[in-house]
Amino acid sequence: MAGIVAFCVIAAMLTAYTLLDGYDLGVGAISLVLAKTRPERSAMVESIGPFWSGNEVWLVAAGGTLFALFPKVYAVSFSGFYLPFIVVLWLLMFRGIAIELRERLPGDVWLDFWDTAFSVSSLLLILLFGVALGNLVRGLSLDADGYFFGTFSSLLTPYAIAVGALAVVALAQHGLAYLAAHIDGRLGERALRVAGRVWWAVLIVYIAVTAATIVHYRGELPGAPIAFAAGTIALLSLLGMRSRAARERAVLTFRMSQVFLVGLLVAASATMYPYLIRPYPGRAGELTIFNASPPSGALAVSLPIAIVGLIAVLGYSIFVHRQMPAKVAVREEKD
Amino acid sequence: VDVVLADRMQFAFTIMFHYLFPIGTMGIAPFVAWYNYRAMKTGEQQYAQAARFWTTIFAVNFAVGVVTGIPMEFQFGTNWAAFSAKAGEVIGQPLMIEGVYAFFVESVFLGVLLYGRGRIPAALYLASAVIVWLGSWLSGFLIVATDAWMQHPVGYTIASDSRIELSSLAALLLSPFAFWQFTHVIMGAAAAGGFILAGVGAYYLLARRYIEFGREFVRTGVIVALAASALVIFPTGDKNGDEVTVYQPVKLAAMEGLFKSEHEAPLAIIGMPDVPHRKLIDPIIVPDLLSFLAYGNFRANVDGLTSYPTELWPPVALTYYAYHVMVGLGTIFIAIAFVAGFLLWRRRLFDTPLMLWALLLVMPFPYIASEAGWVVAEVGRQPWVVYGLMKTQAAASPNVGSGETIFTLIGFIGMYFLLGVLFLLLTLRTIAIGPAGQAIAGDAPAAGHAGL
Repeated sequence: MAGIVAFCVIAAMLTAYTLLDGYDLGVGAISLVLAKTRPERSAMVESIGPFWSGNEVWLVAAGGTLFALFPKVYAVSFSGFYLPFIVVLWLLMFRGIAIELRERLPGDVWLDFWDTAFSVSSLLLILLFGVALGNLVRGLSLDADGYFFGTFSSLLTPYAIAVGALAVVALAQHGLAYLAAHIDGRLGERALRVAGRVWWAVLIVYIAVTAATIVHYRGELPGAPIAFAAGTIALLSLLGMRSRAARERAVLTFRMSQVFLVGLLVAASATMYPYLIRPYPGRAGELTIFNASPPSGALAVSLPIAIVGLIAVLGYSIFVHRQMPAKVAVREEKD
Repeated sequence: VDVVLADRMQFAFTIMFHYLFPIGTMGIAPFVAWYNYRAMKTGEQQYAQAARFWTTIFAVNFAVGVVTGIPMEFQFGTNWAAFSAKAGEVIGQPLMIEGVYAFFVESVFLGVLLYGRGRIPAALYLASAVIVWLGSWLSGFLIVATDAWMQHPVGYTIASDSRIELSSLAALLLSPFAFWQFTHVIMGAAAAGGFILAGVGAYYLLARRYIEFGREFVRTGVIVALAASALVIFPTGDKNGDEVTVYQPVKLAAMEGLFKSEHEAPLAIIGMPDVPHRKLIDPIIVPDLLSFLAYGNFRANVDGLTSYPTELWPPVALTYYAYHVMVGLGTIFIAIAFVAGFLLWRRRLFDTPLMLWALLLVMPFPYIASEAGWVVAEVGRQPWVVYGLMKTQAAASPNVGSGETIFTLIGFIGMYFLLGVLFLLLTLRTIAIGPAGQAIAGDAPAAGHAGL
């Protein structure tokens, strides 16, 4: 029971991370393509400026929670993916620095450099996170004691790449919808228009990944009912984005994109359940909530403390999002 | 290269670089809150500008602190998988609480602090500044409590498969070892913050720019530096030493360069440890003082290193030198704080250029002393990663080779070099621009919200 709660807490935190950091990563990924001028780029960064750092904490906190609740999983996955994890770290660092420092010196070269760094690192992070999720869902080739040192070629399977592609298009769409909802004028309209085009890519990749997942497991999933329900909700909200109401109100598009991502992440988590590290093929080295679950003694204390804290975080995050101005304007270009 | 050595080098490098920035954030955060409070209470422009100035410096500090802090948590899993698998249930819990309770509030409300000025109610803005301060100190406490547990494990049981389980989170958080280590660390950071304020103020006075700000910063900075430095020594440093004396006597012996057990043990002020010959070279000592400091009795026995098998010794010379650097620099900056405080009281400080120069030049000392203090704590804990329970030698990831670690260490060195240059460039530029006319990200018109 404690294992199930712990599993759900971590899945919920990663879902929150995808929802929240997802939009600012998505904004980053499309910023160079979408923006036509430097002020437009600045407006995009400004729209995420107050929030991105708090959003990223969901990843760090999820890491800490995984460490506390499933230390063996933390140890095996972080050391097994040593180089990919370090690359993710460097990208996170580069991206954070880019956002914070881009306006601290005057000059277009400075701005262009950091904006490119911001965009490229955002895109690569989404891709890497997607590939990682794909590998987790598909299963990893482990040695008998559960440790493994991932080679890049063993990680870049067609399925993992497809999930990476899904992450890229889904978060690009999410970022575009966020921009459409938070920036007025031509830039916001353009974002909504481009989101409409990216939508087709999301639909195609989503169907392909879902089909591949179903074929891969052939019904051997304890979490199948939840996965199917969540996948269906995701599909419905995706289709809902084509509705007239959503096309007229950007906020609604953004909300539906949020529902779509929640559906995706819940479906992925249900597909994982009860595994934390799923071996493939075979079962040697598997880590599930049953054999990796920590003893309940301290969890009876720490886990409730964390859950209360997370509810508080949700509360004040929403409060802060509401307090800050809803809309950002594009600055006039100076000559 | 030995893989554990490579892992240790990487951890040492990344954490020592990282810690430079928490010193700044924990030290400056109270002043950000204080000047925002003054600005709101008095409505004076000068305080509002001071608040904005220190917020700008704080923000760059915080940003570098965050991006260099995330690798620390990652490294437990990437480089120290065996340690994480064995002790993760213990270590992970305070770190999880840190993420959920401290890191979140800091990040979310710093966003408010940077982008919310003039756009949200003033009271909420001030509250954000206070929350960021408290969040940064809470974060510091939970990290130090985690380390304190590795120094002196409490509230645990050993499971049948030799994993360490935490039986009492309260015991970990309320451990006296953690309390005194944290208060020592946080007073060190507060002293650093005071000296940063005073140093920047002294610079303005010496440069004859922003004289009013210069006086304000020197005044406030010196008062805080004086109070915090005094608290660094007593009671926090003293009590911290008592905990080490009781629970880590080998570390104490290494810190003091005491090879032979002695009643009436002397305190070595200066000297070079000669480990092969088990003695201090050219020592200057105060007779009996170590016995008194450790046990409150000039005749008490203090165990020397030779009372313990050499495989339980930490690296003696490094522990010894780091400890003496900490105490030596600490003594110097505390003396400067006292003299500056006296001159301030006599209303002569602003007209004493020599003292202003001293305040300017002493700025790095609290940083070096803090880093050296951590070297004492962590190197002095060796050969243990968890004192008495797990050796560092057994803690590294079994499936990561030294080649990978050295490769990523070189990457970190390159990246941090760039970060350090950027940090200095931007901070010095902020100081050069000065408190008047500061614009921070998100402020109109620099980032241009229409109509604001």
